[in-house]
Amino acid sequence: MNDRTLDRPWVLIAEREISTKLRDKTFIGSTAVMLLLVLVAVIVPALLAGSGGPDKIAVVDDAGAKIVQQARHDDGFEAVRTADRASASALVAEGEVKAALLPGDDGYVVLGKDRVDSGLEGALREAAATLGMETNAARAGLSPSELHAGTSVKLELLKPGPLPDIVADFVNIGLALVFYMTALGFGMMIAQSVVQEKESRVVEILAAAVPIRSLLWGKVLGNTALALGQIVVIAGASMVGLAATDQLAILSVIAPVAGWFVVFFVLGFVALAGLWAVAGSLATRQEDLGSTTLPGQMILMIPFFFSVFAGSSAKTVASFVPIASSMAMPGRMLTEKVPVWQPLLAIAILLAATVLIIRLGARLYERTLLQTGRRLSYREALRA
Amino acid sequence: MLSVAGLTRRFGEQLALDDVSFDVVPGRMTGFVGANGAGKTTAMRIILGVLAATAGEVCWNDRPLTQDVRRDFGYMPEERGLYPKMKIRDQLVFFGRLHGLEPLRAAERTDKLLERLGLAERATDVLETLSLGNQQRVQIAAALVHEPSALVLDEPFSGLDPLAVDAMVDLLREEVTPEVPVLFSSHQLDLVERLCDDLVVLSRGKVVAAGPVAELAAGPTMTYRLVVDGDAGWLRDVEGIRVRDVAGGTALFDVEDAAVEQSVLEQAVGRGRVLEFGPERVALSDVFREATR
Repeated sequence: MNDRTLDRPWVLIAEREISTKLRDKTFIGSTAVMLLLVLVAVIVPALLAGSGGPDKIAVVDDAGAKIVQQARHDDGFEAVRTADRASASALVAEGEVKAALLPGDDGYVVLGKDRVDSGLEGALREAAATLGMETNAARAGLSPSELHAGTSVKLELLKPGPLPDIVADFVNIGLALVFYMTALGFGMMIAQSVVQEKESRVVEILAAAVPIRSLLWGKVLGNTALALGQIVVIAGASMVGLAATDQLAILSVIAPVAGWFVVFFVLGFVALAGLWAVAGSLATRQEDLGSTTLPGQMILMIPFFFSVFAGSSAKTVASFVPIASSMAMPGRMLTEKVPVWQPLLAIAILLAATVLIIRLGARLYERTLLQTGRRLSYREALRA
Repeated sequence: MLSVAGLTRRFGEQLALDDVSFDVVPGRMTGFVGANGAGKTTAMRIILGVLAATAGEVCWNDRPLTQDVRRDFGYMPEERGLYPKMKIRDQLVFFGRLHGLEPLRAAERTDKLLERLGLAERATDVLETLSLGNQQRVQIAAALVHEPSALVLDEPFSGLDPLAVDAMVDLLREEVTPEVPVLFSSHQLDLVERLCDDLVVLSRGKVVAAGPVAELAAGPTMTYRLVVDGDAGWLRDVEGIRVRDVAGGTALFDVEDAAVEQSVLEQAVGRGRVLEFGPERVALSDVFREATR
């Protein structure tokens, strides 16, 4: 009768899923908010750190100025000469200088307002001690190099991490959080869109026209594409932010891991998406979702806390457990050197688990989607 | 031709369909009637593949119905359902494509149907903002958009006023080509009588009557009605008929021997003025009551 195309129906389902979401103001709004938060998190610390320039230290004499110049600190110090103690402490009180270095009874006094940064204090203390000892040594007939012979201390690490600890932890939590929030947010949307189709009974027409498996596939793929798109936009924006604020050290470590993260993300997300769709098909009304999505929430939340807060050996185990590995393995790769076979093995395990979960999910989905009478439990669905 | 053979469906202990067989002939509208809970919706859902049969099968042109063939069917479920928050034009195009139409063709058909249903100006409105009557129109358009090879409509006219029913019937007549079998269920027997060519009566999961409406309404014996100017009591003495009722000049009688009604008419004309003579049609509701008793 017509030109009947034998196109794959799941493509059509996925298309509808995507175009509906892209017109949904809530979805666009929440993406924009997430984007803003990430940009703030990336850019603001850099701006705050970079805004100071060298810290100003008030001094009252040449000796003090020399110590301040000698002291080694992040951006160095700048000595501000003042006439006397009173004017130096006035500058401290006004916040014009970070601290004042004043001659004391037996050496020096670091004068601060309400507190003094410990790094700053340490740097001044060390410079004062060095200069003082060199002066004392000169009196005793020792040159500065003789004085310092055999006293230098160098730092070496057995397992040097790619990033400083705090930054690595921060990026690790950030990545896990991105996976957690995206998987949870999209998961709830998948469950809702399934239950909406059940509530409005449109599922009856859909199921008469195409195989139920195609419905599931279309939903899973459409939402995975959307989630991946969202992640790519956010990741891209944060990388541009890092580059723009000159945080190239962090960028050079994150960029190679980003590719791995995408693979882990997609596989973990697809496996979960199958479960979320089942959570939707077990329910008959929106109100049922609270209980039917509970297992999905647990499956996400427990590995999230594990991969963020667990000790290093527990993290190593978690980085091979499906779903947990989506968060733990990219995190480990940021904080320690991981041999390449480990992420590959983790991906193989995750892939196998994803196939199993999707198959089980498809079976449960087929059994429960057209049951509009009442909410079903997972046990009933498995037994039926 | 769409046919079901030996269809049986159990829900736990309950037997919803018991060995149901009937044909839906192309180009003829088949009415599917029965009391609430008789099993109409269950049978229709099995035909559309959204429910599995316990036993029996659904055939299309004498071959078991496949998913590919079924994809061309049009279906209007009893519990109406479309996407409440989707624009009606997008929605109809989507369903057209879901049933296998090319995107352009789906758009063309959608625009034609919306025009035909008087909903062209509302094409970009979201479904839930339409009145219930208009939502029902969109629903039937969703069943027709892909020029279905067969139509299964579960209570398509319920909730519509008589004018809307007429408009819908016109649309169906226009859209349904002679090669399309149509099965529709209804409670409104007068409507079924007016629209249907064939009838399947279901009672407690069993087919209790099936066949062309005209034959079912006529019954197994022919009943005639005669009205004369004067007394019709003489009929009681005529051979080959059985008188049901005589009241003054009005009589009802069953014809037992073939063609005897002609000689009755001749006698009546010989005796005086004949005001009325003809077969007495039994109302479908009587057939229905009789069959489902």
